[in-house]
Amino acid sequence: MKPMAGKIFFTAISVLYPVIVYCGYRYWGLSPRRLSLMLLALAFYHFLNFTRSKSQVERGRTGIFVVLILVCALVAFLADNILFVKFYPVLVNLSLLSFFGFTLWRPPSFVFRMASLHDKSLETSPSFKSVERYCRNVTVGWCVFFVVNGSIAALTVFVGSDKIWSLYNGLISYILIGLFFIVEYLVRKMVQSTMQSYVPVCDLELDSRPNGALVSFDSSTDVADAVGNAANASSNDAGNKTWGDFVSDVSKVRYYLETRENTPWILHCEDSYYFTVALLAMLQSGRKALVTANRQEAFIKEIKKPEYGFLTDEPFAGDADATMIQDVLDGRCAGMNCAAAEDAGECANDKCAPLKFGKFDKSKAEMVMYTSGTTGEPKAVYKLFLQFENELFELVKVFGNDWVNRQVYSTVNHHHIYGLLFTALLPIATGLPFRRHRVDFPTELANMADEAAVIASSPAFLKRLSAETDKAFCFKCPPIIYSSGGPLPEDVARKACELTGYWPMEIYGSTETGGIAYRQSKNGAVWTPFEVCKMSLAENGCLNIKSSYILEAEGFTTGDLVDLYDDGRFLLKGRSDSIVKIEEKRISLPEVENRLKQTGLVQDVRVVPMVGKRQYLAAAIVLNESGREKFAGAPKLAINNFFHDYLLKFIENTVSPKKWRYLEELPQNTEGKIRMRDIQALFGLAESPNFKILKFRREPGVLTAKLLFPATSDYFDGHFPDFKLLPAVVQVDMVLRLARNFLDVPKNLSKMNRTRFANPILPDVPVMVKISYDADACKVTFAYTSVDGETSYSNGSMVMQTNVAVVGAGENRE
Amino acid sequence: MSDLNTRIKEVIIESLELEDITPADIVDSAPIFGKNAAGEGLGLDSIDALELGIAIKENFGVTFSTVKEETKKHFASVNALAEYISANTKG
Repeated sequence: MKPMAGKIFFTAISVLYPVIVYCGYRYWGLSPRRLSLMLLALAFYHFLNFTRSKSQVERGRTGIFVVLILVCALVAFLADNILFVKFYPVLVNLSLLSFFGFTLWRPPSFVFRMASLHDKSLETSPSFKSVERYCRNVTVGWCVFFVVNGSIAALTVFVGSDKIWSLYNGLISYILIGLFFIVEYLVRKMVQSTMQSYVPVCDLELDSRPNGALVSFDSSTDVADAVGNAANASSNDAGNKTWGDFVSDVSKVRYYLETRENTPWILHCEDSYYFTVALLAMLQSGRKALVTANRQEAFIKEIKKPEYGFLTDEPFAGDADATMIQDVLDGRCAGMNCAAAEDAGECANDKCAPLKFGKFDKSKAEMVMYTSGTTGEPKAVYKLFLQFENELFELVKVFGNDWVNRQVYSTVNHHHIYGLLFTALLPIATGLPFRRHRVDFPTELANMADEAAVIASSPAFLKRLSAETDKAFCFKCPPIIYSSGGPLPEDVARKACELTGYWPMEIYGSTETGGIAYRQSKNGAVWTPFEVCKMSLAENGCLNIKSSYILEAEGFTTGDLVDLYDDGRFLLKGRSDSIVKIEEKRISLPEVENRLKQTGLVQDVRVVPMVGKRQYLAAAIVLNESGREKFAGAPKLAINNFFHDYLLKFIENTVSPKKWRYLEELPQNTEGKIRMRDIQALFGLAESPNFKILKFRREPGVLTAKLLFPATSDYFDGHFPDFKLLPAVVQVDMVLRLARNFLDVPKNLSKMNRTRFANPILPDVPVMVKISYDADACKVTFAYTSVDGETSYSNGSMVMQTNVAVVGAGENRE
Repeated sequence: MSDLNTRIKEVIIESLELEDITPADIVDSAPIFGKNAAGEGLGLDSIDALELGIAIKENFGVTFSTVKEETKKHFASVNALAEYISANTKG
C-alpha cells in the first residue's frame, strides 16, 4: 500500500512538475531554492528506483539520471537559479531516450516487451517476426520523439519565458505524446489488417469469430454476394455456411458421436464443409478420426472393425453401417443403430441444449491418414493433431500474410494431407472462407475473376489448365496458387503464371512428414525447407527430416534422393522406392501387383508407370494355368475388364492399370532381373489385334521376341485369299517397328540390303524374331525363325538414316 | 444419329488412346465413366473425363457447363452425349 501511494505521489509530482514550478515561482512566491527541494525529492524517488533495479545496465541508466537531477537540484539550490529547476523535463526526455534506445541495441525492443506483456501469445504467434519488426519501428519512433521533444524542452529552458516553458512542458508535450499514441494506434490497425489472423484449431471456441462470419460457400454462388448476405445466410439456401452454422453443426455431430459407443470413426465426406464439421466434431469429442479418400467398398470393409463408426456424406453401397452426416445435421437419423441418436438429434436442435463446441487437447486428439505402402497393404499413417497444429503454425508464419481477405479454393482432395491442411484446417484456423466443392475444370477459374483467391492445386490440374487455356484470365487480383502432390514442370508453372499472374508455389511433403519445403521454380529448382524442418542425409542418400510435426525423435527418412546444401536447401533427385504417383495419386506398384495376384489367375505380373497424354499404370501379366483356362478364347478386352473390375474393389480407378499385356513370361535381362524400363518399352508399342508379343528379351543392341499373328489379322488380307501367309512387307515393317521401339534406332530407313524369304509365316503359328542393331554402322539385322529355331523364315538387314537432325524432332512427334 | 454415335466413340478411343477396344465394343447406352449394375461401361476415370471433355469440345465444337451435375448427365453415355451434341450444334 505504502510504496503504491508513494509511486502515485511522485508520478503526479513528476507529471505536474512544470505547472507546480510555474505556479510556485510566479504566483506562490516560492524561490528557486525552495523549488529545487522538489527536484531533490524527485532525485530521491528515482534513487529508490535505482536501488531496486536489477540489471547492471538499468542501474547505470537510472544512476546517471539521478546524478543529473541531483546536480541540477544542487546548482539550483546553491545558486538560487530557476534555470536549473527548469531542466527536469529535459532530463526526463534524455532518460527515456536512453532507455528506449538501449532496447533497440539489445532487443527485444521496449515496445515489443510491452506488447508481449499485454498479449502472452505473441511470442508463439506465427506473425511473431512481423510484430517484432513493427514494434522496433515504433520504438525508433519514440526515440526520435524524445530527441525532438527534449530539444524543444531545452530550448524553452533557455529561450522561452517561464510561461512558455510551463505551457510546453506541462501541456503541449503531453498532447504531443497523446497524439503519438493515437497515430501509432491507427498505423498499428493498418498494419494488423495486412497480417493474417490465426487461431489454432484446437483453441477455437464459440466466440472465436463473429456468428455471421462466412465459413464456407458453395460453388454456384458469387462470393461477394455470399459475404454480404452472410449475416442472414443461415437459411442455407445458397449452401453458404456461417460461423454460427458451423458451430451448431459441429455441436450436433458431437452430440451424435458422444452418444455412440463407436470409436474410432472412419471419415469420408466429399463436401469440404461437411468434412470439416465432422472432423472438428471428432477431434473435439475425443473420437479418433480415420480419414480416407478411398471409399471403395472392399477397402472400407478391410479397415472397418465392428466397433468402428463410419461417417460420410454420400450413400454407401457397402453393408458397413454408414452414418450420413446430413441425417445427423437434420436431426433425423436413418442408419442402423439410431435409438440414442434420435434423442440427441432432437436435443441438439432444441434451443435449450447448450452448444457443444470448444477447445480440445491437441496432444491427445488422434487421426489416421491413409496412403499406400510398399508392403502392398494401404498404409495407415498415425497422426496426433499436434502435428497438424504445428504445421499450420509454420504455414501461417511463412505464407499467412499473403492470404489476408482471400477465399480458399481447392482442386485437390481434402482427405490427403495437403488438401486437409490447405483447404480445411487452414481456412478454419485463419477464418478464410473456403469453397465446399472442388474446382474440377480449369475453365471454372474464369468465374473467380472478381475474387481474391487462394487456390490449393496440383500439377495435374495445372497441366490441364495450361494445355486447355490460351487466353489469360482477367483476375482483378491474381490468385495465389499452391501446387503439391508431385513436381510441377517449369513450363507448366510458367504457363500458369501467364494465365493467372501468379507463379505457383510448390510444396514438397508427404503424409508422414507433412510439408517439408517450398519453391517457386522461377527462382530455380532448389527447395527451401520450412524453418522448423531440419534436413539431413540418410545413409542411403535419401532425405531425412526432423521437425516439430514429426513425432519420431530420429525424424523420418523419405524415399527421395537429394542433393543437400549446407544451408538446408536441397535438390530432389528422384524416388528411390517403388511408390509412384499417378496424376498426384500415390500408389505402390507392389500393391497393385499383389491385388492382381490375389485373383488366383496370375502367375507373374509387373505394373509400371507410364507417361503419355496422361500418367497411367500399365500391367504386364503372365496368366497361370487357371487363368489360361478361364480366359481361353476370350477376347482381350474381356480379360482387361475382368482385372480392371477386380482392382476397382480395392483401388481408385485413376491408379488402376489402363493398358494390359498378356505374356508367356516377363522379360528378364542377363542377370535374370525384370527391369521396369523393359516393361515400359513393351507398352510403347501399341498392341493391335493384328499381332501379339508373347515374350521378349532386350539386351544391349539385341531384341529377341516371340510373336503371334492371328488368323484374324488384317495382315493376311489380300495376298492369297486361300493360302494365308505373312507378306514380306509386313515382316520388314514389323522389324522396323520393334527396332524403333525397343532398340532406339533412327526412324527413317536409308536402304534395304539383301533380304531372303525362305519359308512362309502362317497364321496362329508363333515365330521368333531376332533383331540386332549396330549403332556405329546404323545397321539393323533381323531373322525370323520358328520357335525351336529349326526353321528359318526370313532374314536380312537394312541401313537406317543417321542424320536425325534433318529428320527433325517435329517429324518424330507425329 | 448412329453416325454421330460412331464418331463419338472414335473420338473417345482416339483421344484417350484406348487399347483393345473398337467402336463396336462400346454400348451406346452404357456409362462412359464407371460401370452400371450389369457391368457394362467403359470404366473411364476422372482424368479421362477431363481429357475427353476437351476432345469433344474440339471435335464437335460444343462446350460444357461448369456445373458438375449437368456435365455429368451429358457424359452419362454415348447416347446422352450424342443427344447433347446434336442439340447444341446449330440446328
